This record gives sequence, structure tokens and C-alpha cells, in this order.
Amino acid sequence: MTIAENSSKGGLLARSRIARREQINGWMFIMPALVLVGIFMIYPILWSLWMSFQVGRGMNLSFGGLSNIIRLTQDPILLRALFNTGIFLVVQVPIMLTLALIFASALNNPKLIGRGFFRTAIFLPCVTSLVAYSVLFKSMFAEDGVINAFLMWAHIIADPIPWLLDPFWARIVIISAITWRWTGYNMIFYLAALQNIDRSIYEAARIDGVPAWAQFLYITVPLLKPVILFTSVISTIGTLQLFDEIMNITNGGNPADSTLTLSVYIYNLTFRFMPSFGYAATVSYVIVIIVAILSYVQFLVARDRRA
Amino acid sequence: MSGLQLKAVRKSFGSVEVIKGVDLDIKPREFVVFVGPSGCGKSTLLRMIAGLEQITAGELYIGDELMNDVDPSKRGIAMVFQSYALYPHMTVRENMGFALRFAGVSKPEIEKQVLEAARILELEPLLERRPKELSGGQRQRVAIGRAIVRHPEVFLFDEPLSNLDAELRVHMRIELARLHKELRATIIYVTHDQVEAMTLADKIVVLRDGIVEQVGTPLELYDDPDNRFVAGFLGSPKMNFLEGVVDGENLKLPTFGAQTIALGDLAKKLKNGDKVTAGIRPEHFKRGGSAAINVTTELVEHLGGETYAYARHDGGDVLTVAMDDGRELVAGDQVRAEYDLKRVLFFDEAGQRLR
Ligand SMILES: Nc1ncnc2c1ncn2[C@@H]1O[C@H](COP(=O)(O)OP(=O)(O)OP(=O)(O)O)[C@@H](O)[C@H]1O
Ligand SMILES: [Mg+2]
Repeated sequence: MTIAENSSKGGLLARSRIARREQINGWMFIMPALVLVGIFMIYPILWSLWMSFQVGRGMNLSFGGLSNIIRLTQDPILLRALFNTGIFLVVQVPIMLTLALIFASALNNPKLIGRGFFRTAIFLPCVTSLVAYSVLFKSMFAEDGVINAFLMWAHIIADPIPWLLDPFWARIVIISAITWRWTGYNMIFYLAALQNIDRSIYEAARIDGVPAWAQFLYITVPLLKPVILFTSVISTIGTLQLFDEIMNITNGGNPADSTLTLSVYIYNLTFRFMPSFGYAATVSYVIVIIVAILSYVQFLVARDRRA
Repeated sequence: MSGLQLKAVRKSFGSVEVIKGVDLDIKPREFVVFVGPSGCGKSTLLRMIAGLEQITAGELYIGDELMNDVDPSKRGIAMVFQSYALYPHMTVRENMGFALRFAGVSKPEIEKQVLEAARILELEPLLERRPKELSGGQRQRVAIGRAIVRHPEVFLFDEPLSNLDAELRVHMRIELARLHKELRATIIYVTHDQVEAMTLADKIVVLRDGIVEQVGTPLELYDDPDNRFVAGFLGSPKMNFLEGVVDGENLKLPTFGAQTIALGDLAKKLKNGDKVTAGIRPEHFKRGGSAAINVTTELVEHLGGETYAYARHDGGDVLTVAMDDGRELVAGDQVRAEYDLKRVLFFDEAGQRLR
């Protein structure tokens, strides 16, 4: 073996040793995070998948095969929760996102006086505590709360509305509450995206006589499409997990389960009455599947047809 | 086609006055170029004409109509932005036709206008592309096309070529000149590139700090500037400014070893000790001229056709001399730079031209 060969071989060896050490170092750095993610996310996800095939009450579990899935199809309360959640989703998410978009557009106008104040005011609900605001809404919409007092004072209604006792009005209260809480949050995304749009695009449109509504509809909305997609996915997931407001404002789904949501139902199955962990896990996977399907549909709808 | 008139137009942003009283008369079909250093208010003035900025004081007429408070879309203007400002999500065809939809133009008519503009600008093969699939020059042409389809009385351009590379700039410059002939419209064009100004303009408006320094044809401004600023702004390499003191019939140049330049008739209007600057363009040094300055070359640039010599006298100020026949010249040569006395310009201490 010549010296040259020898040294080049040594070089290769050294290089592969360095590469291996780099690999090990890399894994060491991400290991703590991976362990935590594994324990608190991946393990529960897999465990709940396993659980969803268990039947029985409390700790008294046994493998039940597909019986939980069969139970799903025959569960009237689940249907109710699905229906309610669907209503919240279909009514509330579009209203909130449209509002957020309009607010963002208006607050992006540099000529608006008090821009900073309004931005803060609309974002502020997002930083309030979920429980605190829920309690506040509950008291405002009470039979003798400020909302009724105001509406009667303004002669819009003659008798107090039984906000939290009537299924229709109770849903309205929940929708108002989450809209109030989350509109500002979505607006921030739109504002950030709007600030990335070249101002001269709007100036060009203005000179060319494109009316303001058309600028909004044909320029702003298409340019914000990726962000609109993002916020609608996030909001859909958020609504499917709707829990705190229901627990605090309508005491877990009153009246007559008219505001019962999937998350609250899962909570009830798990921690109330006779705990039914297995079936609760199955219902959780229903949410997962709905989120997956809806997100996919939203991506399809928003996909650039030409790309 | 309409002309424009600006009467004592002013603009303030808060307490800062940016345009300080501009009077201007632009004839129909004229190609007017605003030039001036960065921050002098060219864009602001153009945007005031467009209606994108409120006019603080003064009057703006387009045609015969007072336009101060007229909406931008009703002024009969179209504007091409430096950033092109194309709608990123629309194809070239949609970009050009979009605004017409709101002007009550029928679909077939829009199609016809767009195709016509595409033909003029040679954009036909690109009609289905999006802006991000176009080169800078092509985007620029789309932006111009978007202006053309509206058949404006006045086109406004804000540094339309400054994002293009040198070669494309020359090409687009020629295109613009051709377009002006073809459209027969009034064009107001902002640039800080003096070559664009010289080559495109029927009339150049030189701005400085919100004030019009001089208005005239390119050659008028070049040959007969009103002041030192205009003289120095146009022309490349820049005009030489030689500081001197009046001494009888002559201007004595302390930074050139007290050599002199004859003042001629001007001498009568000046008194001894007046500070006067002589301006000589580099290309006005010619063999066989009536006068000369003795200098030593420090740096010689051979450009092939021309030669630029940067020279001084005893470590004084630099004098730039352009020569057609300087191929043998090297740094360190003693040169007798001859020039024609008739072409020397004189400026007073405030920079105003002495005539
Ligand atoms: N919206 C504004 N608010 C305050 N000051 C402004 C505004 N727009 C422009 N200015 C100021 O007005 C002056 C002129 O600006 P303008 O953009 O007209 O310059 P310009 O001649 O176009 O320069 P450039 O060649 O760099 O484009 C500058 O000093 C600028 O800082
Ligand atoms: Mg500018």
C-alpha cells in the first residue's frame, strides 16, 4: 500500500467518524424535546387509539373490537353534539372571518384616525381569560342582565329575552361570545398580511377608477387567500374543540343539550356519570376525522386552480 | 389631448414643506421630464397631479378644468409606478382589462382594447401569464399596457425604468420614445437619470428642494443653464467649476496657480475681488481653442473612442478634460488644455448665471 493511498483512506475514515459524531450530537440536542413530545403527545395519541377499542365502565375495561364504533352510530346525544357543533361551525366561522377581514381592511387605512386605539381594542378580547369573559357574558345575558336592560330601554323588545333558557337564544349567546373573543385574533393575521401588500397596487386601482368594494373583493381577498385558508383551518379546529364557553356560560350544554358540543360530550363521557373512557376516546377520534376532512376540503377549495 | 397647468402649487407634510411653489405650463402632447436629485419632490409633484396626494395650496388644471379636488379616476390620467404595481394574482390580460370592467366598457370592447395594447407592446404571447412569470421589462410593459387601455389624456411615469438593468433600460427608453409618437399623448415622466431626461424629453423640468430651477428643452438647459445647479446636473462627466476672483479684465484662478480666464464683456458688470465661478464642460476643451489652462494629468481613462484626463495644477482642484485624440496620453503628462472662450459660462457667488 502506498503512502498516498493510506492517507486518503485515513481521510475517508476520519470523515465518516466526524459525520457520525455530528449525527449523534444532533440527536442529543433534540432528544429532550423528542422525549417530552413522545411522552405527552405521541404516547397519549396512540394510547387513546388503543382505548377507543375498549369497552366497560370506569377502570373495568376489556377489548370490545368494533362495538364502540357501532355505539357511535346509535348514539342520539352524539348526533345532537355533532349537530350543535356543526351549527356553530357553519354560522360562526364565516361571520367571524368576514368581520375580521373587514376590520383589518378598515384598520389598515393609514388615514383612519385612532387606528392604534381600535387595533388594540379589537385585539384585547384575545388576551382576556376564557373563564373570566365567559362569566361576564353569562351575567350580561342573564334574564335581568345589562343586555336585556338595554334592549328594553331602547324599546327594541318589550319583555326580557330568556337568553340562556331558550335553545335558539342560547346558541346566539355562544356564537356572540366566541365571535367577540376571537375576531381580533384573526384580524391580526389579516393585518399582518395586508401590510405586505404593495400600497401602490391600491393607488393604481384608485387611479384606474376601481371602486373600493371591488378593490376589497377582487384585490384584497384574493391576495389574502393563503391567510384566509390558514385562519379558517385554525378557526374550524378551534370551534370543533369548543369547550370553555359552554362549560361556563350554558353550564355544559343547557338548555336541553341545545349547546352541547363534541368536546363537552367527551368530557361528560370521561368524567361525569359513569366514566366510559373507551367510548370517549372513540368520540375524540370522530373530531380528528372531521378536522382532517374539513381541512382537506378547505385546501381543495382554496387551491390555486392554475398552479 | 390636454395640457396641464400648475399655478403656485405647494405641498406640506405636517410642518415640512416639500413642494415650495411650482408654476408649470405643459402643452398637449408634450413629453415632459422631471429631473432632480433624490428627495427633491419629483414623485410628490407627480402624485399631486395624479391626485394621490392632496394639494396644500395653489391650483392644478388639466385641460381647462381645475382638478385640485377631483377624484384621481376622473382626471383623465393613467400612472405607471416604479414598482409596476401589477395585480399579482391576475394574468397579463386580466391586469390590463380589470379597471375597464368598472368603467362600463362592454366585454368584447375590453377584449379589443387589451389586444390592441398587447399588440403595441408586443405582449401577445404573454397574455395568459401572471406577473411573477414575467421578466422586469415585460412587467414594465404590462404596467404601460394597463395605462394605455384607458386612453388617458395624460400619462404619468414615476421612474419606470429604474428597476431594469442597463441594457434593458436603453431598450425600453427607445420603446417609450416610439410609444409617445404612436399614442400622441401628453407624458409626464419622473427620473433622476439625466440620460433618460436628455433623450426622451421635449421639455425638462429641473427640480431642487421643491423648487423649479429651470425649464427648457434638453439642449437649452445643456447649453444655456440658468444656474450652477442645472449646469452641474446635466452632462456626464460633470461640468468643471473653476473658482476664481475678478482681477480687472480677467478671472484669476487661485487653485490653478493664478492662471486667468478672460471675462470679456462681463468684466464691466463686475468689480475687482468679486468671487466668480467659471464653468467649462469637459468636451469643450478642443485643440486650437482661443485660450488654455496648463495642468498636469493625474489619471487618464481611455474609453476607446474618447479619453478623459483628470488633471490639476500644483495640487489644486481637479479639472476633467475630454479628448478625441488622447490615446498617447499617460498620467503625469503636462497638458495645455485649450478651450473656446465663447463656451465658458460664469456664475456669481450664489450660483446664478452671469450673462
Ligand atoms: N408621505 C410623506 N410624509 C412625509 N414626508 C414625505 C412623504 N412623502 C415624501 N416625503 C418627503 O418629501 C420629500 C420629497 O419626496 P419625493 O418622494 O417626492 O422625492 P423624489 O424626488 O421622488 O426622490 P427619489 O428620486 O428618491 O424618488 C422627501 O424629503 C421625503 O422625505
Ligand atoms: Mg421618487
